[in-house]
This record gives sequence, structure tokens and C-alpha cells, in this order.
Amino acid sequence: MDSKKIIATNQLCKIYSTGRVQVEALKDISLDIDQGTFVAVAGASGSGKSTLLNLLGGLDRPTSGVIEVEGKKISEMTREELALYRRFGVGMIFQSFNLISSRTAVENVELPLVFADVLKRDRRQRAEKMLDWVGLLPRRRHRPSELSGGEQQRVAIARALINEPKILLADEPTGNLDSRTSREILQLLAALNQAQGLTVVLVSHEVALAREFAGETIELRDGRVESRERVR
Amino acid sequence: MKISDYIGLSFSNLWKRKLRTFLTVFGVTVGIGALVAMVGFGKGMQKNMTESFESLDLFNSLTVFPAGPAAQRFGFDPDDQAPVEKNPRGGGPILDDEAIKKIEKLEGVRSVFPEIRFPALIKFKDAEELRLVQVIPAKITSSKLIKLSHGKPFARDDEDSVILGTSLLRPLKIQDPLSVLGQKIEVASIAFDFSRFNPMNIASFLQERQLPFKKTTYEFTVIGVMSAIGFQGASPLPSDVLIPPGSAERIEKLPFANIWDLFRAREGRLGYSAVNIRLSSPRDVDSVKREIQDMGFSTFALVDQFNQIRTSFIYMDMMLAAVAMIAIFVASLGIINTMVMSILERYSEIGIMKAVGASDRDIQKIFFFESSSIGFLGGTCGLALGWAVSRIINRVINFFLAKQGLPFFEYFSFPLWLCLGAVAFAILVSLVSGIYPAYRAARVDPVIALRHD
Repeated sequence: MDSKKIIATNQLCKIYSTGRVQVEALKDISLDIDQGTFVAVAGASGSGKSTLLNLLGGLDRPTSGVIEVEGKKISEMTREELALYRRFGVGMIFQSFNLISSRTAVENVELPLVFADVLKRDRRQRAEKMLDWVGLLPRRRHRPSELSGGEQQRVAIARALINEPKILLADEPTGNLDSRTSREILQLLAALNQAQGLTVVLVSHEVALAREFAGETIELRDGRVESRERVR
Repeated sequence: MKISDYIGLSFSNLWKRKLRTFLTVFGVTVGIGALVAMVGFGKGMQKNMTESFESLDLFNSLTVFPAGPAAQRFGFDPDDQAPVEKNPRGGGPILDDEAIKKIEKLEGVRSVFPEIRFPALIKFKDAEELRLVQVIPAKITSSKLIKLSHGKPFARDDEDSVILGTSLLRPLKIQDPLSVLGQKIEVASIAFDFSRFNPMNIASFLQERQLPFKKTTYEFTVIGVMSAIGFQGASPLPSDVLIPPGSAERIEKLPFANIWDLFRAREGRLGYSAVNIRLSSPRDVDSVKREIQDMGFSTFALVDQFNQIRTSFIYMDMMLAAVAMIAIFVASLGIINTMVMSILERYSEIGIMKAVGASDRDIQKIFFFESSSIGFLGGTCGLALGWAVSRIINRVINFFLAKQGLPFFEYFSFPLWLCLGAVAFAILVSLVSGIYPAYRAARVDPVIALRHD
């Protein structure tokens, strides 16, 4: 491999304790993801793919093992440092879009800038630029409920990328979309990956669709890496 | 995050739940309103008292009593006993003109006049009233000690003039105090009738149950109407008829105002029941008091009593504030309830904010700003409410006072520190109420909050 690795995990374990039952969601995951790649993580539900993504996104902490992103050990960060990592280091999108329903499209896109201490005037300008880029500038004053699923996901992508992270983590982004819109969203992710060198980690159970766009697929089963394959 | 962002965010969140915000803010408003009104009332009473003390020069006054049985001196009500500092030696000298001359020479003493009172029947047209007439020198009636609402003070000590208290107007059926000025009034006094006091026929005297007294009527012109008198005499009853000493000498009267005075008589001499002293400054109270006590007299200074009263005002303020605190405590439970509800409603929003980079501290501050906004709104509205309620109460009380012929009286006082303090306290209470909700919001697990159902 000639390119530089951006994400590296070493013997990553995550155990959920719910009452007396302990669930091993991830077992000894050691992965390297190169900068600028589009990786699809596939697997049945319960295989641990969302858990992996939450750990990479700094939303959750591993039970053991190390996660390194851009040379920084995020598995050892404090809660404050993790917040900074989520703010500037990664962008995340989700199956249910997770937009704030009471806020307009542009206000949702602005949100990460609020925590990044950006001035109000600059915030609006940057958010509108992002919305324009995903083709939704005319709908900037609409609330999520007034937007289609595909439009909502594009707003979420604009929000995820507004602080210019190097990594985009997508957790089943097409799960709530029809096949045509799903394709459009994945095309958008692929374009971002190719045009800007954004590293995309896509979690999806639709393996066939993911393979069309991803450069690499990783399959998880019962919390372990079952197979890893370069598509192109 | 910038402060303007926190404020904007908290107000937009509160605006989304208008009714709930209104109810919570109203709870704080009632609590702070009660606090402001209660403390304002306490402060108003205190201010009134201090001001009336100052305007009557009471901090400069000292009363001297002859040593002796002092308990009866203040009437018959055991609760009404003022803290007279008794002379430890007891059985001291007679409080007479000689003593007054000695007191006048003391440093810091501005003026001295004896307390002379005698019972008399006051007649004006058809009305008559029994009163204690007090003898007051002309220069005292023109001092701060006597507050005249109408008319003027005595010009000389020997004029046949009288000053009436406002409390006497109603019993004498006088509607307008101005109308009585210049009118004649009759003062009938009682004196020993020595012509009837013949030991030869004392037996028949007693059989007929006739007392050796006679009644003489004198005519006076009303020169002034007095609203307040600034010294405490030997009797708890305030005198509301004043005459100058010169004309008092011409009146045949009993040499005592009170039967207890007779017990103090020594060597056949009565002396004065009390002497009023005005000092140059309140600082002289202690030194003059000590010197007079060394002369063998007892003293009473209102300034000492004022300090006691001030302490009891502090207790009153605390009691009033404690009542209001109950309302504020209930309001703070309302804030906690509102904030916890808000967290449950905005659970996923908190998760989203964390996912896009909000730190625990950011989330905490968002909730603190929200609860303190409730406090600020409640505090400001409470201040307005407390003020408005006090205006209404003041109006109502004064409406009834006016019916009784009493002047307007301000019962409330709102110093700046109270206004600012009330709003600051409301914010403080809401911040404290916000601690638990803010902590809970900050600990929201984004993974759970974002999990799609």
C-alpha cells in the first residue's frame, strides 16, 4: 500500500453490559483505512458495524484496544477532547438523518459552526455555500419535515462536512430511502471521495449497492472482520 | 460558543414551549414578587421610623427622671416599660429647678425643659374632653421636636395660646384644622381649694363626700395644630394640648400629674416628674447620660431604644423573607421540573449537538442559560408584580387612613439594592435549580440518543 493510513485500530473490543448479560459487539478488530479511500463496511444486523462506526466517530469508547485517527489516539481522549475531535475531525451521517426538526435546513447546517465559535455572519454564509453545493440552496428555509428523505440526507451531508473534516462516517445513509435516491446519495459520497479526497466509511447492509461505489469492502460477522476485499 | 449564541438558543427554546415557559416564569414571578413586597414593606417601616426619629430630633434627646420607684412611672402596662437606666444608688436628689440649672451647664446640652403636665377639661363649643395639658417653652415649640401641621409656634412664654394635637380635633368635632386657628378654647383645671380645707369641719366634709378641690376655667386662643411630638414624657399617654410656661404659672393646678408622683415627694417637695434634654449631637448622649447619673438621677435615651427596635426590625425582615422563600422554593421545583421535561423532549437534539461537536460543557451551559433566562424573566416580572401589589396595598390602606383623618403614609420602600438583588437572586435560584438538569443533559449518551427506533 502506497497511500498513507488515516484510521488504524488495534485489537479493538467493545462489550455492552445490559444488566447481567454481556454482549460482545466487537472482538479484536484491527483495521487500517487509507486516506482518500471509500470503504464499505457490510454485515448482517448485529454484526457490530454501527458500533464500529460510533467508535470511529468518537461517540463511544472502546472497552479495550486502540483507535488512532490521523496519528492521534482517540481511544485515550478525554470527553472534552473527543468533543473537539467530533467537531473538527469527522463528519457523520445517519440512517434517520438526525436533523433538528424545529430548525430550518440552513440552521441545521450551521449547527457545528455554533460550537466551533464561528461568527454568526460567517456561519450563515458558509452554511449557504454548503447547501448550494448539495443543490439545496433554494430550500434553505425549509424545515426537515418539508423536505424529502433524499433532501434531508443531503442537508445532513452538508452539516457533516461544514467544518471540513477529512473523514465522513455514514451509518446506513440509504436505509430510509428508495433505490433511486439511495443511488443519488451514494453517488454524491463517491464524488466527494474522488473530487476532494474525502475518506468515506460507509456502513451498509446493501452489499451489492455498496460495491458499486466503494473502493474497498470489509465484511463483519459477529463482531469480527470476516473478509476484506479491494473492489477497484 | 458565544454568549449571544447561548442567549439566542435559550430564548428560542423557551419560545417553543410558550405555555410551559409562561407557567414556570409565573411561578418565579410570584415568589420574587412576594419577596420584593415583603422586604419592601419591612424596609418601608424601618425607613419611616428612622426618618421620623430624625425629623423629630429624637436621636438628640434624653429624658431625666428622679431616682425612685420607676416602675409606675410608665403607667400601668408592664409591656410598656421603657429601658430606664436606674441610678444604682437610689433615693437620689429632687429633680427641681436647681438640678435643671446644673444640667444646663453640662457640655453638649443644648436646651433643658421640665416635664409639667396637669389634667384639665378642654372645651370647644359644645364638645369637652379630659386631657393632660403639657407645658412646653416657646423655643421648643419652634424646634424640630414639635411638628406643626397648621398655624405657628408660641412666640413668647407668657402668651395665652394653645397648640392642639391632631388627635384632639376629632373628639372636639373640628373638621378643618385651619378653621380652629384663632378661635377661643376653654381649659378648666382642678386645684386644691384651701378655703374649703378647714380642719374644723373636716368631719362634715368627709360625710358629704366633698373633696377639697375647685375647678377654674381659663380661656386660650388656638395658635397651632401639631402632628407629632418628639419626646417621651413620664407618662405613656401623649399630650395633645400644649401651653407655654408663663401662662401655665397663672393657672391654678395640682402640682402633680400622676398619683405616683406623690410617693416620690421628699421633704414636702415634689420636684418635676421628668426633665427633657436636647443635645447638640447624638454623640453627646453617653457622656451627658453618665454625668446626670452621677448627679443621682435616672435617664432614658431613645437612641438606646432605637437600637433595640432596629434589631427587632432585622428579625421582622427575616420573617417576611422566610415566608417569601417558601414561594421561591416551590418556584425552583417548577424550574427543575421544566428543565428535566425539556431534556426528555430534546433528548435526540442533545445527541445531535454532541455528534456535531458539542462538549459536555457546551450542553451544560445551554441548559444553565435556559434556566437562568427563566430566572431573569421571573425576577424582572416579579419585581414589577411586587411593586404593583405594594402600590395597591398602599392605596387601600391610605384610603382607610384618610377616612380616619390621618395623613398619607408610605408603607413600602424599594431601595436600588432590593430591586437589583431580587433579580440577581431570581437568577441565582434558577441557576441552582438548573444544576441537576444541566448535569443530566451533559451526560446524555449520544449513541443512545441517536439510535433510530
